[in-house]
This record gives sequence, structure tokens and C-alpha cells, in this order.
Amino acid sequence: MSFDSLAARALDTATARGADYADIRFEDVRSERIEARNGIVATLADTTSRGYGIRALVDGAWGFAASSDLTGAGLDRAAARAVAIARAGAAIARNRAGAPPPRAYTDVFATPVLRDPREIPLGDRVKLLLDAEKALHVSPQISVGRAWMDLWSTHKAFYSSIGSRIEQKLRQTGSGIEAMAVGDGDVQTRTFPGDIGLYKAGGWEIIEQARLGENAPRIAEEAVALLSAPQCPSGTFDIILGGSQVSLQIHESCGHPAELDRVMGWEANFSGVSFLEIAQLGKLKYGSDIVNILIDNTLPEGLATVGYDDEGSKSMTSDIIRNGVLVGYEMSNDTARAIGRESNACVRAQNWEYVPMIRMCNLNLLPGNTPFENLFDDVKDGVYMESNRSWSIDDHRLNFQFGCEIGWEVKNGKRGRMLKNPTYAGMTPKFWNSCDAIGDENSWVAWGTPNCGKGEPMQTGRTAQCASPARFRKVRVGVGYDG
Amino acid sequence: MDSRNRESLASRVLGLSNADQTEVMVWSGNDALTRFTHNMVHQNVAAEDTSVRVRAVIGKRTGVATTNVLDDEALRDTVLRAIEMAKLAPEDPGLPRLPAGGSFKAPEGAYVRQTVEATPRTRAEMCDAIFKTAEERGYWCAGFVTTSTGGATIVNSSGARASFDSTDSGVNVKMNAADSTGFAEAYDNDVSNLDAHAVGVTSARKAQESADPQGVDPGEWTVILEPAAFGELFTYLTDHFSAQSFDEGSSFLSDGLGKTYLGENVTISDDYAHPLNPGMPFDFEGQPTQRLALVENGVAKDIVTDSYWANKLQRSNTGHALPAPNAYGPQASHVVVSPGSKPAAQLIAETKRGLLITRFWYIRTVDQKKAIVTGMTRDGTFLIEDGEVTRGVRNMRFNQSIIGALRRCEFGNALHRTGGYSYSLIVPAAKIDGFTFSSGTEF
Repeated sequence: MSFDSLAARALDTATARGADYADIRFEDVRSERIEARNGIVATLADTTSRGYGIRALVDGAWGFAASSDLTGAGLDRAAARAVAIARAGAAIARNRAGAPPPRAYTDVFATPVLRDPREIPLGDRVKLLLDAEKALHVSPQISVGRAWMDLWSTHKAFYSSIGSRIEQKLRQTGSGIEAMAVGDGDVQTRTFPGDIGLYKAGGWEIIEQARLGENAPRIAEEAVALLSAPQCPSGTFDIILGGSQVSLQIHESCGHPAELDRVMGWEANFSGVSFLEIAQLGKLKYGSDIVNILIDNTLPEGLATVGYDDEGSKSMTSDIIRNGVLVGYEMSNDTARAIGRESNACVRAQNWEYVPMIRMCNLNLLPGNTPFENLFDDVKDGVYMESNRSWSIDDHRLNFQFGCEIGWEVKNGKRGRMLKNPTYAGMTPKFWNSCDAIGDENSWVAWGTPNCGKGEPMQTGRTAQCASPARFRKVRVGVGYDG
Repeated sequence: MDSRNRESLASRVLGLSNADQTEVMVWSGNDALTRFTHNMVHQNVAAEDTSVRVRAVIGKRTGVATTNVLDDEALRDTVLRAIEMAKLAPEDPGLPRLPAGGSFKAPEGAYVRQTVEATPRTRAEMCDAIFKTAEERGYWCAGFVTTSTGGATIVNSSGARASFDSTDSGVNVKMNAADSTGFAEAYDNDVSNLDAHAVGVTSARKAQESADPQGVDPGEWTVILEPAAFGELFTYLTDHFSAQSFDEGSSFLSDGLGKTYLGENVTISDDYAHPLNPGMPFDFEGQPTQRLALVENGVAKDIVTDSYWANKLQRSNTGHALPAPNAYGPQASHVVVSPGSKPAAQLIAETKRGLLITRFWYIRTVDQKKAIVTGMTRDGTFLIEDGEVTRGVRNMRFNQSIIGALRRCEFGNALHRTGGYSYSLIVPAAKIDGFTFSSGTEF
């Protein structure tokens, strides 16, 4: 459906009520979730949600009101509510923080899709998951098998009082499997691909990339083997992290601290602040010389790839860490203006109900030049870890502790026996400065994170951190199990 | 949408279905939140929505479809989508009939007119009181004031009919001084019971008293966890009371009920009617929720079920379903940890050397079965020496089994409501011996 006339009415109402600037974002969202669990379909759900969010700026203060009422009266009411909210904030404002975006766009964007998932009969989609889940039950010790699939499509239309009209049709797809083994008073879990499944922008081709069925027996056998595997030792070791774990490491220790709203204290009471202070821009040696991290919201298959963000800014690439040095942030219009820059289009809302906020979007660690198998070279005594199980980091994003589902000892350059409960801990800059090898482009994957939590009210964001496996020297290992 | 309109809508949708069994859930919400930082509002939002969820059952097959488009065509299409999905779903031999519901009584104080009528100006005035507290001290504050109204109606073809409306409100403040921070919170179904100024003052006092924090060595410490800290820790245990995790072996109770797992002073219940947080008296299948003793004096007494898990384990349905079917199983969502006999101040006074902790951050499970979790202290961590709170200390990371902690704990005699984005609990302050910290920070 076209939202043109509805948008005009809402923007006219907001302006008539006193808004200095207003925009409206319509979304028509369809989500399908299928989950097979222990031989049955635990979830088979098809959800549609349609609505809009209006931002209004009054005397430098923002108000936001969202509604699913698409009638003229409903639009008028929501627009008036957004203005009233902005005015209430302006009444107690100590200074003017908000300003309209610098430019308007008229454009359309659609996610490239090789095959529409809904061309695949629902029965076939369910069967794919049931077969993959069944293949996980390699032993009576597999207490829980799971296989899941998410298909998301969003028709989004953005209009602003300075003339933007942007229409986007976005598709995102993901799937995964998980096996939980129980025995000897222990519980061990293995997940594939990565620790959350494979989530990307695209269609059925993303499901095919995941190759759930052919990997299910191996994953389940590893879960069972972990029950009797030796405990990962505690101490200081060289470690090699699998690609999905490097992705998580980027997400938590670079993606979040580089959010400029966090740096400026906008998330202080909840998500926290950041050690990447503005005074450190261009100076802080965040990582070793081979660490290059950039935003690329145009990346094919990147889960956060869009044409325009939810403030109407055009997607682009932008450096965050160049040769190990902090050079940029993830920014919105207001935060970028505060440091004399322009937005790099990193603003997203969970859906129409939520106010847009800064997200890390696609944040990628550029591949190095080391083939995966050569990452083990020169490691005398180390641990290789795969697939995140536990993640925690302080509210400045410095002190972290992560755990993985599985590890292997590395002795004299060779991968050895399996280890259970591997964990590692450190301080962010010291850790990234210890990175001395990054896997090459053959091991580089656009790992998507479909469930990033931030903001109040809490919003779930979809981000990606493209990464290869990487090697880090002299890291504290075994924390949490060393007592 | 009020309960009468929700019930009318739900009945109309139920009438559109020719499935063997049908459940219709209608929920509506109107939520507002004013968020601030650096003593000014930076995010000020409100959202309203009404959605309809249809669960269609054909034989032993289930399909679910949801929409928030409420015209006749969309509702009819939603029912058809649920039926089509059910026809294509494989059979689940363990699927019971939809529950028939039953009588229930909404708890007093769940729905409060003053909260419904709160305006953006109401929230702004509460924020302004907090800003002034910060400015008087040369601090800056971050936090929010929120008010919300919600309602749920569930009807099904087995005869269940249930509606409930509630309100909620909250104040959350982190006060920031030169080298220290302090946190305080308050929640109530009635916004007029919230004293935003007092919350601001408490957070400011904590920031002031934790100034110039000094590092202490990691290792085992006696800790006094204020309710916000204890609640955040405890929420990582609530899934263990689910019949699903109990049966599948991932719960610490999986060795069986009737056994002693925790200290004999530990009693845990699930009580939707607790006056500090009166909640929904039925679950998302329309089944009346039982008020349950989960642990009594350290002994496991019960687990929570829904219709599926009650049937599977041949136990009674306790009315703790999430929207079904789902992969998570039933959940205890109104947990209350019984208080002890001493004021929290006395627990501190009886501590030779320990740490007073206001709040935790980013707790995550390290080992599910052993309930080992890791996380950080945050926004007000203090040293206790000879029964006195003497100074602020730098934040630290802990690694601790919650079960182990609940075997060597003592509770304060007052209950508080504490909450986060995914939980609301009623807990006392807790004193725990041998709480393990593994590393520190520079702040």
C-alpha cells in the first residue's frame, strides 16, 4: 500500500501543532518463525504488524509517538501526541539538543533476494527443520534438539517535513540448530552455525548456506563428547577464536563502545558508557596494527544492510578502527553534529513502535592474510575456542569475560584433545593489542546478530559483525572454573 | 482498548474459526517513557497498539498467526493463516486439549486510574525534580520515568474466558559524580506512590558516599546485596523452576523435588497477587494461576507448569503458560523470596569486613546446571569494615554459583520490588558469605 497521503496528513498535523521538524516512518512487517524441538514443531507462527512512528521536534526537544491506528483521526492523534511529548521535554530543557537532519532524499531500496523463501512450500520448510533436528539425536544423552528458522520481511516508508520520501523493502533470513547433552551431572550444548545460527539479509539462499542437516550429527556428537571431555585449564595461554566468537568479541568490545550515544552518556543508566572517549579520537591505540574495523551498511548479505537508516540518512562505509587506532564512531544526526561530523547512517529502530537510536549495524573486522590452518602455527601451548556460550562486559566496555561451547588444546602448532567449558577474560584494549594474526578472506563470514539489546524501552536490534578467526597472545583462560 | 472491546473482538475472531479448537488472545498496550541524561530529556516516547493472536488446533496439529490490523478482512485472513499452518504442521502426540480456564480474582491495586491519566507533563515534572537534585550537587543524572497501561483477554473454544487490565510505573536514576556513581529505583502500579525526588536523593547519596573509590583485592568476600543487586542475580535462577528445564535435565532441581538444595532459611514462592506487584491472575492460555511455594526452607516443593507440561509430566496445571506453543516452557514470572528477621542495616552492622553492593550489571550464565553466573558490580559499591560502611570501592567482576550463594545467605526483613527490562521480582536484601570475585576495574 502507498503511505503518501497518510504521511502528508500526519506531517501537516505535526507542523500545525508547532513542530519545527517532523518525520514519520511506516512499517508493514511480516515475521515467520518455525522451531522444531525434540521431534515436534514447538513454534509455527506467522505474525503481521503494521504501524508508524512519528518524531516531532519542538524547541530542540524530540517527542515520539507510535500507533497502529492508520485512520486519519488516528494519525492526527499520534502526531499531536508526539508534539505534546516534545513540548513537555522542551519545558524542562536546559539546552537545545535536537536539530533537523541536514538533507532530504527521495529513493527506493530493496534487499537483493535470489529466492523468495515463501516460494518454498511451508511443508518443505517444516520438513527441513524436522529432519535436521532428528539428525541431532545421535545418543540418548541428547536431551534436547532444536532447529529453527526465521523469515522477516519489512516494507518501510519514511517521510519528513523537509521533503524525504524513502521506500525500502527489506528481507532478512536466519536458521540454526542446537543440541543439548545431559549426563554425569553435567549439561553441554552445541549450536551451529556459530552460537545463534546464520542470519543475513537475503532469502532462501541464506537457509541453504547454513547446511543444517549435514552438520547436525557432528554438532550433536560434540555435545555428547563434551560431557566427558577434560576441563579447560586455567592460566595464561595463547588463544585462537573461531570466526563467530571473534564476531561476538567485536560486537561487545568494539561495536557497543563505539556507539556515540553511549560515549555521550545517553545510555548511562542502562547499557552504560564507553572508554572510547571523544578526546581519544585519533589517538587511542585500540588494537594492534593489523586490526581494522569499519562500518559497511552497504555490504551484500549484511544483516543490517539497508539503503537508508531510520533517520533518513544514506548508507555508507565508515572507519572506526584504522591500523589499530580509534578514528570514528557509529553516529546519528544529533550525536554527529555534537562532534562536528555528519551521521554515518547507523540509526535503527526495532520496528515502527520504537524510537530510532544508534546501532552498530554491519561492523566488520577486515580479514588478514593468514589461512585459518596457519593460525595454529607458532602456538606452543594454547586453546582454540568456538561458538559463544556466555558473554559479559562491564558498563564501560573494558573488563570482559566470555565463554565458549567448545575448545581444543593447541600444542606445538597442532590442535589436540577437546576441552569443555573454555572461558577467557581480559581488558579490551590490551586484548585487541595482543591480536597478532587474523584469518584471510576465505574464512571471513558475515555473522549476523539478530538479538542485540539496547535502550529503554528495550529494543532488539539486528546487527552483523563480519569476521575471520583470529589469534591473541597471553590471555587469561579458565576464569569461572578456576576455584 | 478496554476489556469490553477486547472481549468483543476476541469473541468475534473466535467465531470466524472452524478449526477443531481455537484460542484467541487480544492484548493492548499504551506505554510511555521519558528518558534523560545530563539533566535533560533526550528520548521521550509513547506507543499504543492492539494485537490479536490466533492459535488453531486441528487434531494434534497447531498453527499460530498474529496481526495488529483489526479490520474484518485482516482478522479473517489471520484465522485462515493459523488454520493453514495447523494443517501443514506435523502431529504432536502429546498435545492436550485447550484448558477450560476457571474462576480467578484480579488482585487489588493492579489497575490504577492515576497511572492511566499520567501525561507527558506528569513525567517531565518528575524528571525535573531529579534534575534539580543533581544540579544542587554538581552532578549529572541519567535514567527514566515511565507509565504504562496494558490489558489482555484470552478466550478459547474450551470455554476459557479471561480478561485483565493493569498499570505500571517506574523511576530509575543513575547519578554521576566526578569519579563515582549511584543508583536507585522505584516501581509501583500507582504512579502517585512514586517519589521521584526521593529516588534522586538516594542515588545522589550513593554517588557522594562512593566518591574516590579504591581498589580491593578480588577473592572471596562477604557481600550485602541490596534488593536491586540480589534481584538481578536471582532472575538467572527463575527458569530452573520451569517444568521444561526440570524434565530436560538443565535445572538444578532436576534430581527431584522434596530434596534440600538451598539453605534452610530460603523460601521462594510465585505469587501474582503480592501487594508490591499485583499481576495477571491467569496465564496466556487463560488458566488461573496458582500461588505456589517453590522452595520451603531450602527444600524443593514445586515447579510451574502449563497445559502441555502438566499433561506430559502428569502434574496439575499451575497456570504459568507463556503464549503457546513456545520453545521456552512455562515460567515463574511473579517470584517472591521470603524475607529474614533482621533489618538490612543490622546485616551490615554484623559484618566484620565485606562489600555492600547496590547493583549488578551484565550477568550471564557461565554454567547452566550449576547455576554459575558472572557479572559486574555497578553504581555504588562500598567497603564494610567493623560493621560500618567506610568508603567506595572500584567495581569488580564476580563468578558465583547462585545455588552455592543461597546455601550460605541471610536475608533482610523488608521486601522490595526490583526490575529490569525482562523481569520483576520481590526480594529482600541478602547477605552472602564467600561470594567470589575474579577481577577488578579502574573505575
